[in-house]
Amino acid sequence: MKKSTAEESRSHKAQVVVDRLGKKLNRQIVGSMVACVHCGLCTDSCHYVLSNPGDPTYAPAYKADRIRKIFKRHYDWTGRVFPWLVGAKTVMTDEELEELKDISFGKCTNCRRCSLNCPMGVDFATMNRMTRGLLVSVGIMPEGVATVSKDQWELGNQMGVLKEDYLETLEWMEEELQDELDDPSAKIPVDKEDCAVVYSINPREAKYDPRTIGDAAKIFHAAGEDWTMPSDGWDMTNFGLFSGDDELGGAVARHLFDRVQELGGKKLVISECGHGYRSTRCEAPNWAKYDVPFEMESSVETMLRYVKEGRIKLDKTRNSKPVTFHDSCNLARSCGITEEPRELLNLVCTDFREMYPNREENYCCTGGGGAMSMSEYTPRRLKSGKVKAEQLKATGAKVVVTSCHNCVDGLTDVIRHYELDMEVTQLVNLVAEALVIEKPARVPTVVEDLPLAGRRIVVADDEPDQLLYLATVMEDYGATVYQAASGDEALTLVRKEKPDLVTLDLAMPGRPVTEIYEVLRSDSELEGLKICIITGRPEMRELIYQRMETPPDGYLDKPLSEDDLLRGVRKVLELSHQEV
Amino acid sequence: MSDFLHFSEHTLQEVALVFMACVYVTRIVWFLRFAAGKERQGQTGSGATSPTKGFIYSWANVAMPWAMESTRTKPSLYVQFVLFHLGVTTAIGLSFVIPYAPALLENGLLVLILQIVIGLAFLVGVRRFIRRVSDPYMRAISTPDDYFSLLLLTAWFFFAVLAVPNNSAGGEWHLLMYFWLTAFFLVYVPFSKISHYLYYPFTRFYFGRSMGYRGVYPIRRVHKAKTS
Ligand code: SF4
Ligand code: SF4
Repeated sequence: MKKSTAEESRSHKAQVVVDRLGKKLNRQIVGSMVACVHCGLCTDSCHYVLSNPGDPTYAPAYKADRIRKIFKRHYDWTGRVFPWLVGAKTVMTDEELEELKDISFGKCTNCRRCSLNCPMGVDFATMNRMTRGLLVSVGIMPEGVATVSKDQWELGNQMGVLKEDYLETLEWMEEELQDELDDPSAKIPVDKEDCAVVYSINPREAKYDPRTIGDAAKIFHAAGEDWTMPSDGWDMTNFGLFSGDDELGGAVARHLFDRVQELGGKKLVISECGHGYRSTRCEAPNWAKYDVPFEMESSVETMLRYVKEGRIKLDKTRNSKPVTFHDSCNLARSCGITEEPRELLNLVCTDFREMYPNREENYCCTGGGGAMSMSEYTPRRLKSGKVKAEQLKATGAKVVVTSCHNCVDGLTDVIRHYELDMEVTQLVNLVAEALVIEKPARVPTVVEDLPLAGRRIVVADDEPDQLLYLATVMEDYGATVYQAASGDEALTLVRKEKPDLVTLDLAMPGRPVTEIYEVLRSDSELEGLKICIITGRPEMRELIYQRMETPPDGYLDKPLSEDDLLRGVRKVLELSHQEV
Repeated sequence: MSDFLHFSEHTLQEVALVFMACVYVTRIVWFLRFAAGKERQGQTGSGATSPTKGFIYSWANVAMPWAMESTRTKPSLYVQFVLFHLGVTTAIGLSFVIPYAPALLENGLLVLILQIVIGLAFLVGVRRFIRRVSDPYMRAISTPDDYFSLLLLTAWFFFAVLAVPNNSAGGEWHLLMYFWLTAFFLVYVPFSKISHYLYYPFTRFYFGRSMGYRGVYPIRRVHKAKTS
């Protein structure tokens, strides 16, 4: 068939997007495309709108119209006959696709708040996910999305955690647990067959927050659960939800589902993660065309069930700080999990305060839709967190609990950016803290050797308070610490003192830390040197996602508690298997 | 009554109605040719939610302004919505009453009620137009069809108010305007956003069913409305 002039001058990518749009259309999507009456009722539902007054380009219907106009021009007959009347317009160039990317990835977290507030039933978030999928299919996407998707395709998990690192983390957590409970029977069973529960996690837990794995193990142990973790296919997150790539979504889920079946698991328990739960429990059976033969539940439901069945006992007085709860958009608005976490919270802490609005009307943490991996939009994301910050502040709570790892990161950034006096934690941590274990946990004996005794560490940070804090904690635990206020100073100290470890803040003035990192790595005299990156500035996150040839030995996120710092440093120094 | 007015009240309306019906059928056939996405997910949520309850709740949503934050926090917009759509229904009914049951309009009270209902819808139309033109957020999402449809309906309400008494003693122009606008409206609607009500049952059905599967609909209300 002969191409029209317009088709001939359209870029290849734009043509592919137009063609693939036609293949992606189902009745639900078409309904959302044609039913909008431009009433504007959804405008104020969006946290981007509320935090950026006067900028209508953040309005959900405006954003939806960017893809709707292409649909109308090519697939809706009114738009084909009278394009000027209904705002139909085709897409011609790659630049226009880039603009669409900016809206689709950079101005919406797919939180679905507008969808729930549209009287016509227009589900913009689903339309936007489809738009992302179209753009991804022609290679137009934020760099972080490309990297994370690649990791999930190639390594089976979205943070590129290697199997040996994952297994080592489980071993480490098991030893810590046995040590804490003084009970060698406390285990993290791996690949055990025919268990009642197969536990799947977010790779963030293995990489940055192993404490949540340890806490979950403690709860399973206390409940006497017959459980296991798979050595492979353990990642329940799914970047396909964020990138709009159903193929990736289906492949990731199939891997996990197959693994549970191979192990003969009766139930898949999904750790506290909003998008992980939504993907695995709700969307993945559709993406993967998989009729899942086993039960699935969120670990929030599991923990609550244990309390109700009398399998675990809690002492809520151990969590006495004022606590509020942030609903993950995916859990509350897309999966209806709103009451279970509250029920559990009331059992596990003494001062729970609701934030307003809440449940399915709660505002996004700003980190949804994969936003944490799109560092180019970080300033915009943080600005749009204003409404969340106000909401948090109004509670007067000191702790915000959330059942989602993305939300932990999103909220941490908001809290830091708006200088709120709060910390973020998850239910699993509170439950583990409140857990009453019949056999008293061993009181740690004072050991002669401090946990970091004999270790030489260079700490580099340009913030004097932070530098002092890091140095003091490590010195208190027996390390010899050298302080550097810049990357270059750190380099000089490392060459002079030949320490076991250097910790680098990513955002120091002077020479870029990435460059310092490369110099350290390429120096043959520093071969055994461990390097730990400490990130404080969210906009520097892209460095985490950019795969360096030899990755750092560890990453730590600021703000750091003393416990997390010690634990992280010991892990990097491979001291974790030694008795403290 | 002149022959021209008689033609406008009968033949013109009938032709326009048939045209509208044909285009509507085509529209629905076109829409239904898109396959509906399947749901393989198991049902989640408490026993109070289910796919069936979900879509019923979703359909009933239109009559529950408290259910959504967007209508709960903007009661005046909801009232406008109700008045506007009452006016539309009444003005459509009027286009059948005048030619087929004119005796009804001999009741002065009924005439007054109809004029009030349609008159209020006219005022809402004016208010909506002002909002669409003056609010930068509304302007940013408006197409020529949005302005034109609203103007058309508002003008139609105006002539409908005048047409309600069905009195041509002082001239037929107001009745002619009302019936010609009605005919134009019937022909134009299937091409414009006014046809949204065709899709409404489908969009709310699918959205509600999906939300029902996921334990979101019907929404559970538990001490939640401090700010709303
Ligand atoms: S998406 Fe819904 S609420 Fe938003 S403008 Fe369109 S019809 Fe109105
Ligand atoms: S899905 Fe959320 S972030 Fe996106 S437009 Fe709607 S309300 Fe805004």
